[in-house]
Amino acid sequence: MANVDRVKRQLLHDLVQQNVDLAEGRLPRTLRKRRRWTPATRIAAGILFAVILLGSSRLISSRLVSSQSNRQIPEPTAVQARAALNRAPGKVAAVAPASVPLPAAPLQPVDAAVFPLAVRKIVVDAGHGGGSTGTRTPEGMLEKELTLDIAERLRRLLARQSFEVVMTRESDHDVSLKERGALANRVGGDIFVSIHLNWIENRRSRGIETYYMGTTDDPYLNRLAASENRESGYSLTDMRRLLDRIYAGVRQEKSHKLAETVQSALFQSLGKVSPELQNRGVKTAPFIVLLTTDMPAILAEVSSMSNEGEARLLTKPLYRQYIAEALAKGIRSYAESVEETPEVAPAARKESR
Amino acid sequence: MSDKKNEILHVGIDLGTSRSSISASNGQRHVIESYVGWPLDMVARRVLKKPVLIGREALENRSMLDLHRPLEEGLIKDGSEKDEAAVRELLRHLLSLVGVDPDSRNGRVRAVVGVPAEALRVNKQQVRKALQNAVDSLLIVSEPFAVAYGIEALLHTMIIDSGAGTTDFCVMNGRLPTEEDQRTLPQAGDFVDETLTRLVRGRYPEAKFSVHMVREWKEAGSFVGPPKNPVVVTAPVNGKPTQLDITQDMRQACESILPPMVESMLDLLSRVQPEYQEKVRNNIVLSGGTGLIRGLGPRLEQELQVVGGGKVRVVKDPIFVGSDGGLAIATDAPDSDWEKLSA
Repeated sequence: MANVDRVKRQLLHDLVQQNVDLAEGRLPRTLRKRRRWTPATRIAAGILFAVILLGSSRLISSRLVSSQSNRQIPEPTAVQARAALNRAPGKVAAVAPASVPLPAAPLQPVDAAVFPLAVRKIVVDAGHGGGSTGTRTPEGMLEKELTLDIAERLRRLLARQSFEVVMTRESDHDVSLKERGALANRVGGDIFVSIHLNWIENRRSRGIETYYMGTTDDPYLNRLAASENRESGYSLTDMRRLLDRIYAGVRQEKSHKLAETVQSALFQSLGKVSPELQNRGVKTAPFIVLLTTDMPAILAEVSSMSNEGEARLLTKPLYRQYIAEALAKGIRSYAESVEETPEVAPAARKESR
Repeated sequence: MSDKKNEILHVGIDLGTSRSSISASNGQRHVIESYVGWPLDMVARRVLKKPVLIGREALENRSMLDLHRPLEEGLIKDGSEKDEAAVRELLRHLLSLVGVDPDSRNGRVRAVVGVPAEALRVNKQQVRKALQNAVDSLLIVSEPFAVAYGIEALLHTMIIDSGAGTTDFCVMNGRLPTEEDQRTLPQAGDFVDETLTRLVRGRYPEAKFSVHMVREWKEAGSFVGPPKNPVVVTAPVNGKPTQLDITQDMRQACESILPPMVESMLDLLSRVQPEYQEKVRNNIVLSGGTGLIRGLGPRLEQELQVVGGGKVRVVKDPIFVGSDGGLAIATDAPDSDWEKLSA
């Protein structure tokens, strides 16, 4: 009996807290980022830190001893450095270890592919917010609520996979497109993923699609971009400057790859739950939020609120979880693909022999 | 003399798609059909002598009313101001039935309102909005949780709350259920009604009947498994009242909700920690109006054989179990918590 009373007390406490959050417009705790550490976690982290510190100091001292006893550069390091050079003949100006005699190379632009930088920091953008409600189903679901819900789920999933996640908004408030892009650039995000929900004129369509920056001749896409770009926070002069960025080669190429990976994951995963889902593919459109970011950036329309069946599915937390999982899967695949060491081109391989 | 201003009335409300119930700490309990209707024109207003009709009264006078059932699949419809107004009217009417005048209250009212397990935040906000100024403090809970709390089935239990709009599943493991512990299916009483309507229309194309008649037939004769007695109903055929045998249609319609129900039950069970699965299997509680379908509990037990068997019990009072649970939460919550929850 005492046990039941204790359980009841705890349940009531949690229930009241959940309702206070609801009344104050905060997300439920289960969907919020955990910031507080329990005393036990703190102690565990302290011990872990001490172990790492001790381990690394030993490693450093052992390296010092070995470098003093044998001043030769280990073979793999030299080979790796040469391979990097040969992979991009005439393009690399990398800093080599001082002890390796290397031919002087002229300063030239660096091919990004030579340095497969890891994707670590992901900026997740929950579309709309505050006064910008986005689309709305007849049942009253608002795009801004759903995008935030999915974004929070995505954050939790990515955080579990050791990605660092930065959210452009964590509650229901206005954030201009300019601010979203500026934030992503300021925090040095490796990729930018904007979450939106589609409204398709043909309401029978259950289409999902993913955009990356670029121009389009499609009047529908231009209308869509114009609608999403409303209240961007940019002046006309800014806009002209921004439009010059559309053809920034490498970033556009990577954005395209990211869009393809995410779209494929979305379609494969959600198609199982929503069999009538249509793959509307990867497209380009001049969305400002994609234009202002310095990193590969995509805008995913993860479901169609205009379709009755999809709108009903979106009321189910499980479906929103599936969407977040599909996005996380796509991001993970992209990250893994850019982290793979690029193969040495056949011609370069010959030269390196 | 008691100070009426300081008297506190606790209420539990089960806001349902088909029926809504209220249980109050003054001992009153009421159930109404979740219908709200406004007179269509001046004539109707003169005949009905009321600006708005609620529940059975609205249903019986539906030909003269702009009739609204403001909840669909357990969620508040938000297509028009009328539906929002209908929710407001419904909640205020329920309060008035237990002696609360929402416009000029004498004492303080603390309300717990049960909504479907997967109601979106936006829907919960609408309930808050609808009850603003009508109650002093408000707590919104998931309906199966209210049921579990009311019958003290808080540990290693599965609640299957099947109403008109939705069938809610919830595994109770001593903490507030998370989304992983809950499922909501759109297959419930309304789904049975639609299926039965389609089947009877197919069998007796000449017969004239409404969805309200179908609902009454279902409430009187629903069953799964082999029939005990034939289900015979009366409906006009070419203007003449005629007896129709709908036994097979009734069985087929009621059994149409079984496959998704069984699948969800087994899926949720498989997600329970292995050491507790047997306990949960033997502690399944069926509630809600659709839970009253004859033979449903034993049929679910039969389906549990594939995972080692289990026990399903039907709650004694499925109509009020949700609102009674809400009332239990309302009276158990300490004053300090209620103060944080002003509506």
